[in-house]
Amino acid sequence: MSRSLKKGPFIDEKLYRKVETMAAGTKKTPIKTWARACTIPPEFVGFTFMVHNGKAFKEVFVTEDMVGHKLGEFSITRLFRGHTNKKEGIKS
Amino acid sequence: MPRIAGVDIPENKKIRYSLRYIYGIGPQTADDIIAETGINPDTKAKDLSETEVGQIIACIEAGIQVEGTLRRQVQQNIQRLRDIRCYRGERHRKGLPVRGQRTRCNARTRKGRKKTVAGKKGVKG
Repeated sequence: MSRSLKKGPFIDEKLYRKVETMAAGTKKTPIKTWARACTIPPEFVGFTFMVHNGKAFKEVFVTEDMVGHKLGEFSITRLFRGHTNKKEGIKS
Repeated sequence: MPRIAGVDIPENKKIRYSLRYIYGIGPQTADDIIAETGINPDTKAKDLSETEVGQIIACIEAGIQVEGTLRRQVQQNIQRLRDIRCYRGERHRKGLPVRGQRTRCNARTRKGRKKTVAGKKGVKG
């Protein structure tokens, strides 16, 4: 079910403030974050985030098309290397 | 036989039903079109007068995406998901279910016919 319109999209406040301060300055460094559930507002476009996937931080460069999605959608949490092959053992 | 929206030629049925043979028009939109044009929903498609066919075509062109344009729109939406490399895009790429369904078993619509693996439990290798 979609989220109530009354509440508006979920945006991690700390992260949003961090982006705002960075937008005011000139330096644009990647922002490390755990806020995978945070919806991407238009203000995030052009920034790079390091989104945690449970193990490591994956670099996500936000483009215009990504607005409305959540940060976690771009940092996959599962690693699938393919099925095992009995003769050759585990494929690497 | 009336031609509506390009190649579609719905035949010996009442227009209310034959309109649904057009990609992008289901029960609801078919009824909407009939209500808007004021055509008797029980007339057979072949019995429609020229003006009535014209009315239907005008109504569809006015505000409903059908056939080619709709197919292209859907394809574009999927392509967008692929391009931004989001989770849903990846699922489309891999040909797996997109909306969180299980894949341990079933999911055959997306995965296609079963690919039997020799030597696996239950299969004589």
